[in-house]
Formats: sequence, C-alpha cells, structure tokens
Amino acid sequence: MDPSRAAASTASSGRPRDGVGPPPDFPAGLRVLVVDDDPTCLKILDRMLRKCLYDVTTCTRAAAALAMLRERRGAFDVVLSDVYMPDMDGFKLLEHIGLEMDLPVIMMSADDGRDVVMKGVTHGACDYLIKPVRMEALRNIWQHVVRKRRNELKELEHSGSAEENDRQKRALEDGDNASSASEGNWKNVKRRKDGKEEEEVEEREDPSTLKKPRVVWSVDLHQQFVAAVNQLGVDKAVPKKILELMKVPRLTRENVASHLQKYRLYLRRLSVPQHEARLDTPYTGASEATFRSVGSFDGLDTQALAVSGQFPPQSLTTLHSGPRRVTTTGIGLPSIDQVGFFNSSAQMANASNIRPAMMQQMNNKQLNFLSGPSTNMESGQHGQSQQLVESYGNMGLRVGEGASGFFNLPSSQRTSTSFPGGTINVNLSNSLPMQMTQQGQQFSVCQQQNRIHISMPRQLQTREQLLNEILGEYDSRLSTPMGHQILSNEVSGHVSGRGRSNMNVRTSLREGYMNASSYGPLSHALYADFSNSGMNESTGSCYPLASGAGTTNFTSIGMLQEALPPVGNVETLGNSVSVKGANDFVPDYDLLSDVRQSKSQDWKSQNIDVSYQSAQQLGSKQSNIDFGSSRLAHEDSIAAIKDDKSRNACTVRKEIFSVRTEIEHEKGDCTAQRNGTILVENSLRVMAEGMSDLSYQEVLFDDNIIQNELMNVVGKKQQEGVGQVDPEFNFDGYSWDDIQV
Amino acid sequence: MEYSNLRRQAAYMKKSLFDQGYLDEQFYQLEELQDDVSPNFVEEVVTLFFRDSARLISNIEQALDKCPQEFSKLNAFVHQLKGSTSSIGASRLKNECTRFRDYCDEENLEGCLKSFQKLKREHAVLRQKLESYFQLLRQVGPVEKATRPSM
Repeated sequence: MDPSRAAASTASSGRPRDGVGPPPDFPAGLRVLVVDDDPTCLKILDRMLRKCLYDVTTCTRAAAALAMLRERRGAFDVVLSDVYMPDMDGFKLLEHIGLEMDLPVIMMSADDGRDVVMKGVTHGACDYLIKPVRMEALRNIWQHVVRKRRNELKELEHSGSAEENDRQKRALEDGDNASSASEGNWKNVKRRKDGKEEEEVEEREDPSTLKKPRVVWSVDLHQQFVAAVNQLGVDKAVPKKILELMKVPRLTRENVASHLQKYRLYLRRLSVPQHEARLDTPYTGASEATFRSVGSFDGLDTQALAVSGQFPPQSLTTLHSGPRRVTTTGIGLPSIDQVGFFNSSAQMANASNIRPAMMQQMNNKQLNFLSGPSTNMESGQHGQSQQLVESYGNMGLRVGEGASGFFNLPSSQRTSTSFPGGTINVNLSNSLPMQMTQQGQQFSVCQQQNRIHISMPRQLQTREQLLNEILGEYDSRLSTPMGHQILSNEVSGHVSGRGRSNMNVRTSLREGYMNASSYGPLSHALYADFSNSGMNESTGSCYPLASGAGTTNFTSIGMLQEALPPVGNVETLGNSVSVKGANDFVPDYDLLSDVRQSKSQDWKSQNIDVSYQSAQQLGSKQSNIDFGSSRLAHEDSIAAIKDDKSRNACTVRKEIFSVRTEIEHEKGDCTAQRNGTILVENSLRVMAEGMSDLSYQEVLFDDNIIQNELMNVVGKKQQEGVGQVDPEFNFDGYSWDDIQV
Repeated sequence: MEYSNLRRQAAYMKKSLFDQGYLDEQFYQLEELQDDVSPNFVEEVVTLFFRDSARLISNIEQALDKCPQEFSKLNAFVHQLKGSTSSIGASRLKNECTRFRDYCDEENLEGCLKSFQKLKREHAVLRQKLESYFQLLRQVGPVEKATRPSM
C-alpha cells in the first residue's frame, strides 16, 4: 500500500537469498510482496502477513510492483497479487514475474470461477487464493518458496543430484502444492480452486528412484504434453510419440511415460467422481436377487410405494444411487446378504407390497446397507436413496425420506431376519440418521438403530410371523393398513409392549393382526390419539397404527406380527399416521380390510399398500410426525417387544400416536414409549417398509434401545408366535372406516 | 459496573450484527488481527473500507448515470467493491453486490438500478451500525476484549 513501508520493510529484511537454504527462523522473515489495488484488502493482508512474521511489502499498482522487483532483484521471496487490477492484469504481471524473476506468484481474487483459476494455473501461478483470504491460507505460502527453490536447484543440477532434489521434483511433479494451482499439477488445480493450502500431495509416488535428471513439469511443459496427447488421442498416446511431438530437448521417454501415467490417473479420477461406492452394482445385483423374490411384491410394492408415494421409483433410483454413496463402504456388497434376506422376505412379500417396492429399493439400498456397513447409509445423499439407505442403514428405516421411509431400515447389518417377511433388522441404523433428517425428521436416530428391523416388505406371512413374534401380543391387526401408520407409530409406542391397547394394535398381530374391528378403532386411535387404547386393546396388540390409519402405520402393523415389518411401516405410518392418520385413514382401511382377508400375505401387502398409501397421504405429514412417532413407536415397539409382546403394540401405539400428533415433540415421547419395543420394532419394520416416514427411522434410530428390545422381542416372538401371524392378520371386521380417526 | 455494562452492550451489539447477517465470520478474522501492536486495527480497517467503498459507490453511480450500458465497467466496479466487502465480512453488503453483479451480467439495467439502491442503503446502514459499535467500544476501552472487568 505504501511504497515507503515497502521500502522500509524490504530494507530491513533485505537478506539476499542466495539459495543456500532458508534462514533458521524460516518461514519467519519471508519476504513477501503484495500487490492489490484495494486498500482495505491490502491492509488486511499486510496485517495478516505480519502476524505470520513475514516481511511484507505492499503495492497498489502492478507497475510499481514490477519496478520494485526489477530494482531489487532477490529482495523478495514470493509475490501475492490480485487478479483484477486497474492498471495491469494480474495475469500479465504474473507472466512478467515468472519470466523475469522466476519468483513464486500467488494469485488472489474474490472470483473463484473455474476458468479464472485455470487461467492462473496455466499462467504459472503457484497458487490461487479466494478472497476473503484467511490467515491460515497465508501461513503456508512459504512452501511455494521452498518448492520453487528446490526445483530450481534441481534444474540447475540437472541430474539426479541430491536425492532430496529428486524428491522435491517429485513433489513438484506430483504436483501437489498444497494450493490449487501448483505448477504442472493439474490435480491441484482441479482441486483447489479456492487455494486452500492443503497439502494434498496426491501422488507421492516415486516415479524414479533412480538418479535420473528430474524433470520439472512446468505448466508450459505440461501444456505441451497435453497438446501432444490430445493430438495423438488420449488412448493412443504413447510416450515415444508424445516425446516426438513435444520436441523438448532433454526430455526422456521415461519422463514422458511416468508423466503420462499420472495424467491418465488424473483423468480417470476426473471421470469417476463418485464411484467409489460402486454400490450400484452390488445393489443392483443384490437387489435383483431380492427382487426376484420380491418380485411379486414389486408389483405391489411399487404400486404401494407409488401410492404411498413413499418409494417412488425414483427412490429406487436414489436408493441405488444412494447406497452407492453411502454404502460405498459396504452396503452395496453386503446387500447380497441382505438380498438373501430379502429373498426370504420376499417370499413373504407377496403381500408386502411395500416390501417389494421397498425391497427393491431396499434391496438396492438395503443390500447395500444391510450388507455393508450400515453406517453407510449416510444417505444423505439422496433423499430417496437415503431413505432406503437410511432405512437400511438404520435398518432401512430410513427409507422414509423420499420413499417414505422405505423402511428397509437398513439398519445395520443386523439383518436379523426375524421377520420372516421382511423385517430386516438391519442394524444399519447408522446411516439412518442421515437420511432421516432429510425429511426433517431427523432420522439421525437411525444410527442407533442398528437394530432396526427391516421389516421390509412384510411378506405378510413372514411378517406376520415376525410381527407376531415381535409383537407377540401385537395384534397384527393393527399392522394392517391402518396400523401401518398407526402401527408404525403406534407400534412403536405400543410395541412397548405395554399392551396399551392402542398401540399394541399390531402387536397382537397374532391375534389376527388385522382385526378390523379392533383396528378400526385402533386406527383411529392410532391416529386420532393413541389413547384410544380402546382400539388397540381390543385387538390386543393391534396397533392402531396398523389398523391402517390410513397411514403406513398399518404396514407396520402387519409387521408387527411378524417381524414387525409392518411395524416399520406402521411406525412410520404411525408416526405419520398419527398425524396424518387421522386424515387419511380411510384409504388405508380399505386396503387393510383387504389385507385382512389375505391375512398372512394379503394383509401384508395390503398393509404395505395401505401403509404406503396412507403413508403417502400422510406423506408429508408423516415425515414429521412419523418421525416423532416413529421414534416413539420405535422405542415403544422395542420396548414393547421386550416387555411383552402382547402389550407392546397397543400401548406403544397409543403413546406413539398421541405423541405423534405432536410429532415434533414426539421424539421426546418416543422414549416414553420405549415399552413398546416390540411395537417399535414392528413399526420400524413397517416403516422400513417404505413408510417414507423418516420418522420411523427416527424411531428406529432412537431406538437403539428399542432395537435391542425389539430384537429381544423379536427373537422371542419368533419363537412364540410365528404361526399366529396369519390369522391375526386378518382384520376381521376390521373396517378402516371404523378406524378412521 | 458501568464498564461491564458497556461491555455487555458492545457484545450484544456485535452479536446482533452477526445474527442479522450484517457481519460474517470474516469479521472475526479481523478481530484476531488486532493486538497490542495494532490495537485499533479493526476500526481502522473498517474506516478505510467505508472511505474506499464510498468512492466506489459514487463511481458506480456516475457510471449508471452517464453510461449505464457499460455493464462491464459496472461489473468491474462492483467486483472491486465485493472484494473489499467480503474482506471485512460485510455479509449483507456483499450479497447485494453479488446481486448487482448478476444484473450486470444479464445486462438488466433496471435490475441494476434497483439493486444499486439497495446496495447504497445497505452500505449506509452498515456504516451507521458499525460506527455506533465502535463508539461503544471506544467507551469500553481497550479491555473490551477481556473477559474480566478491569475496573
């Protein structure tokens, strides 16, 4: 800013750099010349650099800077220049400096457009900092000085002189000047546009440990190289030809070869940004496998899903995609396991419409999730996938997000397939959290949910069984459509096994899960208020949720029975249901009733459908609500499961539902609902099924405890009431209408 | 007491500036640069900023008056302005600059004019707020950063 100061500063620190090496207190005392026409920025930079103990000289005009540099050769170590300056273009200055003084130049600008940064790189800037410049960024600028010095030395020596030189060169070659625009480092450029001085020396390879003259791949040289490669064709470029085209003396074929190798790697990296996971493949594979089984469901599910809007096809996609991302770690692969799991469930899945859809999604995701580190579920990536992922991760509970909680609850690997149908107790819970949030529900809980039973498509039969098992008491009734939502919610709540009649809607899956009658009211109860234990009670564990509270809850209900897969849904449903339930009850009911008919399978599928549908309806609401409820439900269910199968559903539900209404607050309640672990589980399952209810996931997640409980419950349930599921699923006289809240 | 009250007031004022989006975390960076060697650094920078930005704004105004179609020129001006606003952490002002620049890119004169008016307003408001803030700080004295009252 003021030349006087500059002069002063330079004078004081005018140690000539003779290349012998940095002074002992390096980088203190680094002589920096800053050029910026903006006085404010200049002042700030000046201060910052001084704080770094550098020797600062400031200039507002490029011309003045150049003059200064010329006059005092060797008086500066590094130049910081702004890009947009009135008198001279920053790049021009850069070029001049590079040609005349060969000092490292760092560009700065508020402009972080890629082209501009690229320009900086190609013009030879060592780095490019984005304004506002932070102190941290300035602290490391000394590295450019060192690097450049070493390179110069190497070049001087021009042959495998010191090993360190080689290394230096290598470093330079590899390019990784921490900042973005390291010379000849295309990688850096690409990466660090903002000039973060991260030392990402990507390629620390050692192309030649031999003492070869190290070639410095300067920007120009690299450009020539690239031109030659392009001319030849990237695939066809061979070092020999490149060398010929480049016509650079003293460049050996080996140099070119190694450089080409790096370049190719770089290109490859560019084109495959996120395929680390490659989950897709595994997913698809796995999912396909599962899907096959689920196939039957698929139709249903997809529809259901579609209906429920929970798992729109996209979710599938997302799921796929999601898992990829998420599961890169492993969800994809493990999915195979899951697939198997799903397959089994798939069988059940006839009914589980949800399941198929979910399965698919889940499969993709789940597989990923299940198999893999459920944590991967970091679904955050795609709403849909997330959902799946989440659910899977969480145990698939997450599914909720887009897919309304596909519930696949990717819950961690636990694939406790206790659910015959599909509750995949994937304990993915990890990922769930991420996804859950999507819906805003914060499924972050998912993580905990490792135990989330992925109640994936509740193959009604299996599911029921599962639910039954889980719920023990849970009336599968509840799980049916109405219950789904409600169930899910409720289940969670009820599952707590408290037999809180309402919630237990589904827990009593055994009892005929879909006791329509019971559900009817249950559903209502579920939604309207879980307190309608009346509903549940009648059904035993009917989760009101399941009753098809129009919401996916029902699914959960169904699940409750078996493996609470419906629960999952239910939960989600429940959650959503609770909120929504009231509203959308009706539709589900119908489904539920149908479901009932089919009992084991039908209702499941129906449930799923219902749940989905209801879920759909609830959809929006659900998310929030479900979340809350799911949480509760989850907890409840889990609790329920643990406590007593029978009770769980109902009680859980009730609590869940009521909670759900508040949903937002639900979460807190959920814990209360812990009792209904079983329910929770179921609900979880239900939810997983696709209850987009993220909330479900949430529930699931929260429920580590629940999970545990659920697991316990489920386990028990399995032993106990597997068989009962079927009958119970029949929602006798279950009329959704009744359930209407 | 009064001292700590003032301090609290200052702290509160600062917090509200942040909460309302007038300032962002770059401002913290500035504060970090203040120390014994430069005890009034932040205020100096801010003063400098307002002086310089006032100049730029008047340049823009002139340009809009005389040669409004020269969007590239406007763009250059506002780019400069944006650079300094972001350097001091004037978040709202910076956003307005961005919007103005977008209008310039679109060559939308009307948008530019409207945005410019907003920009001027933001500038004035920020100036006034920061002025009061620094005034308060001055009263509080050099220990405003201290956690314990030094009275």
